[in-house]
Amino acid sequence: MKTIRLFPLELRRLLQSRLTWLIALLAVLSPLAGLTLYKPATAGTMLSNYLANPAIAGGVAGGILFGLLTVFELNRAARSRVDVLVDAAVSPMSMALVRLLALMAASLLTLGLTMLVWTPVSWALIGSVFGGVDYLLAYLLLMGPALPLGVLAAASAYQFTRRADLSLVLFAAFAALSLTVWADDWQLCWLNPCVWALSDDFSNFRLFRSVAYMRLSWLAALAGVWGLSYLCIRQYGKGLFGSLARNLRRAYRPVIALLLLACSVAAYAAQPMVDQSNLDQTAMSFYELPYLEGVTCSQRTAQVYPDTNAGTVTGRATYRFQNVSGQAQTVALGINPGYTISSVQANGADLPFSVGDYQEYNEAMLQATIPAEEEVELTVEYSGFPQEDRNTSTMQGRKEISPEYLCLENAALSPRLMNVLPDEGMYPATIEITLPSSMTAIPFGTSEAKVVSEHQDGTATWRYEDNGTGGILYAGDYIRQDIEAGGLTIQFYYGRKHQSVMEAARAVDAVKAVVDYCTKHYGALSFGTGGALKLIQSRVSGGGYATAGASLLDEADFTAANLSDSGKGAIPGEVMIHELVHQWWGLGNMFDTSDDTSPWSAEGLTVYTTYRIVKALYGEDYAREHYVDQWQQSVDDYYLNFYVRHPEYLASLPEDKQLPITNSLTYVRQYCEMPLKILKAEALVGGEEAMDAILSRLFNRELDPAYPYLTYGEFLDACGLTEEDLNLG
Amino acid sequence: MDKIFFYECKRLIWNKFFFGLLLTLLFYGWQVLSSVTILGVSHTAPFSPWSFGDYLSRMIPLLWIGALFFLTFFTSSKARRAAVLTDVAQLSPRRYALARCAAALTGTGLLALFCLMEAALFYGRYFGWYGWGELLAPILITLIPPLVFALGSGWLLGKIRPWLVYLWMLIPFVWMILPLPEALSLWNGSFFTNYPSVLGTLDPAFTMPQAALLAQCGLLAAGACLLVLFPGKNGSSGIHRGKVQNKRAENKAP
Repeated sequence: MKTIRLFPLELRRLLQSRLTWLIALLAVLSPLAGLTLYKPATAGTMLSNYLANPAIAGGVAGGILFGLLTVFELNRAARSRVDVLVDAAVSPMSMALVRLLALMAASLLTLGLTMLVWTPVSWALIGSVFGGVDYLLAYLLLMGPALPLGVLAAASAYQFTRRADLSLVLFAAFAALSLTVWADDWQLCWLNPCVWALSDDFSNFRLFRSVAYMRLSWLAALAGVWGLSYLCIRQYGKGLFGSLARNLRRAYRPVIALLLLACSVAAYAAQPMVDQSNLDQTAMSFYELPYLEGVTCSQRTAQVYPDTNAGTVTGRATYRFQNVSGQAQTVALGINPGYTISSVQANGADLPFSVGDYQEYNEAMLQATIPAEEEVELTVEYSGFPQEDRNTSTMQGRKEISPEYLCLENAALSPRLMNVLPDEGMYPATIEITLPSSMTAIPFGTSEAKVVSEHQDGTATWRYEDNGTGGILYAGDYIRQDIEAGGLTIQFYYGRKHQSVMEAARAVDAVKAVVDYCTKHYGALSFGTGGALKLIQSRVSGGGYATAGASLLDEADFTAANLSDSGKGAIPGEVMIHELVHQWWGLGNMFDTSDDTSPWSAEGLTVYTTYRIVKALYGEDYAREHYVDQWQQSVDDYYLNFYVRHPEYLASLPEDKQLPITNSLTYVRQYCEMPLKILKAEALVGGEEAMDAILSRLFNRELDPAYPYLTYGEFLDACGLTEEDLNLG
Repeated sequence: MDKIFFYECKRLIWNKFFFGLLLTLLFYGWQVLSSVTILGVSHTAPFSPWSFGDYLSRMIPLLWIGALFFLTFFTSSKARRAAVLTDVAQLSPRRYALARCAAALTGTGLLALFCLMEAALFYGRYFGWYGWGELLAPILITLIPPLVFALGSGWLLGKIRPWLVYLWMLIPFVWMILPLPEALSLWNGSFFTNYPSVLGTLDPAFTMPQAALLAQCGLLAAGACLLVLFPGKNGSSGIHRGKVQNKRAENKAP
């Protein structure tokens, strides 16, 4: 009761302090830093530039400022040497709680003021893609909790040490850790959440969920630490341990503090956002499983029910097997590590199953032993919140599931068959997905989805036929525009919200130019389904991929900010160019699984061709500066890298330290070294035209069905060069 | 003099502030070593003088703050009140102040030493590397001048106004933001990442341009001068003492 009575008095006292208002004013102004000095969200979307960056900067500055204010306020009585008097009048325990609540209230008030002041500013800066939900969530999650976290951290430090100086050092180090060495760990960066991009055209709920989870974990952790420090508040002239012993007499206090700490530790360890995939990105153990003898798969189906409000998926997948081995066999399926398997049945009977702890490329392995019957129908029921690959944990948002947008890739859509060969039908699959009726389902490939039923709850079920063990599905509020180019019909899908930007950016012309260029220089693409190619705009994802009959276009390729960048020439969208070129190099011509000792992969020719297209579209200077010079710089750095020159030191490091270094080095070899080698080959064979003729011959060569891959040897032979000729040294 | 020095050392070091600061420094240092220094800077080894210098540069802001907090033991209002007693002691205020400065220097040196020991442990554990002779130059050049300057300037500012010491703690962060010229680039650590590439050789031995060396010497000289020339001079504490004496005179008057 006393606390409730004292709280308004303390809050009023706090709000009468000029220092409080100065801190609040600085915090309100601090989002300005996100527009100028501090820009952690690097993607080029409008919401990244004008919403995420100001909100994060506001959180960082506000958290630090409120931490300092907290130390100043908690030390006020001791500094003025009236602590003995205050302690005599009010219990120090009650006073600590009241002060904390008052500071929290002041921080919330500051957040409210900041949101009020920045609403019109953000609206004006962001323009047509401004959305109230994104704005509210950005400020409430990216900025808001940083302020009370700062208060809790600083108050805990003070209550433990009862010294302003030591509290300030502890708080400074805690904040510095978040801003530097923890900045790339999405769970540890308590002050500056890992947000690299916010989507303009689609929703951002997956990313906001991740930030909210991190904030709640830290709120529980710091509330627990504060609870422990609360037990250390000095009373009756006793020291730290004397006061602790006395305060422990009320058992509920330590119990609450320890419960909060236990909750935060559990939340940290059992986080549902990111999986535990192997950090070694060259590991391929799931792809190296031996196929079962005498077992084939003749058909599979999946019924998928995404809950677009909760961001979860429920599904049932069936697989029809022919088991002629005469014995029970263990089937392996890859599932998203976030999913729970509720049942596995064979011909209607329950089967025991296990899901392994090892995870690789965002998949865990489900194993079930099918009976020794000739015809087996295996049914797997699964549900859960799809997790993202931990190798890209700083770029979360790919597994967005909302009423506006959905992307389900491979094992997130339905369990992927790992160790069973197909019959002659090559895994024919029928996929059904039930979505809100405002969404259009777009299979990433040559399949076409059709609505088969509409339901009274405002949802519709889409069905499409596919081939293969996996599959990717996009869905959202899309517009489709058909473009004729290079003898193909390109089905161009982009978000409705993005229509004006796409038209202003002349995106259709850009797509046409790229397809015409590749067709003219290398040859026409051929797809079995009547020469159609889908080009689908994805949520901002920092890259893309392609498959036969479909390519991705990253949202960040065509943003309003890009339109005003005259340096980008007439046609922006270099990620789109790269992914479209993969239709020629990587899909039209396939490449074997890349070997870590060789830079040869589909990326080399794709990056080289992208450079050539950019050169043709934007001019030689632009292409040299943004491609050749950057490859050269990266390759120079690569060969000078200490661990490349001294691999013995790399080998001596523990595996968790080795892998990030190895992964970054592999990237340079494939994306920078190989294009430079091809550029050198171009000079040696007599220039661009000669190289185009060679690449055209390679693209149109007769394929060996047993090994249809384009090898480095074939490329060198076609150029009449040896591996040594292309050494860059 | 020795007695006072050891007493002040004990006062500075044998308390929870020192141990709290030390733990904070060690934790921060290990995070820097295992996530930044391990990659090496400018293509050099993680245990090269350049990478090690980069590590030290990242530690300097915390060491700077620690050094200035040590000074608050002597410049705070509480210490000023106690100065009424110490000033009447036989030892000259100047020598007394020098002993305190030496104690603060010792405390700061100890913190820096722990940071070095931590790096030694890291290099030994991960790389089996123990060639510490090579790292002497970056230690001397990177650590000593700013820390001596922190103590000298902090002492002077603390005597003018105690709160100025707290403000002075922000200086390394200001340096970090400012685009400093090459001669001063050791102050924000950019020297260790930029200068090796200017030298144009692989794994260059540790060298410094004359201007940067002069800047560090200047910093050291300025810090030493402030420590040696101003420790005992009267600042506001002198004024305070004057007021106390006047009050005594008033009390005696009747």
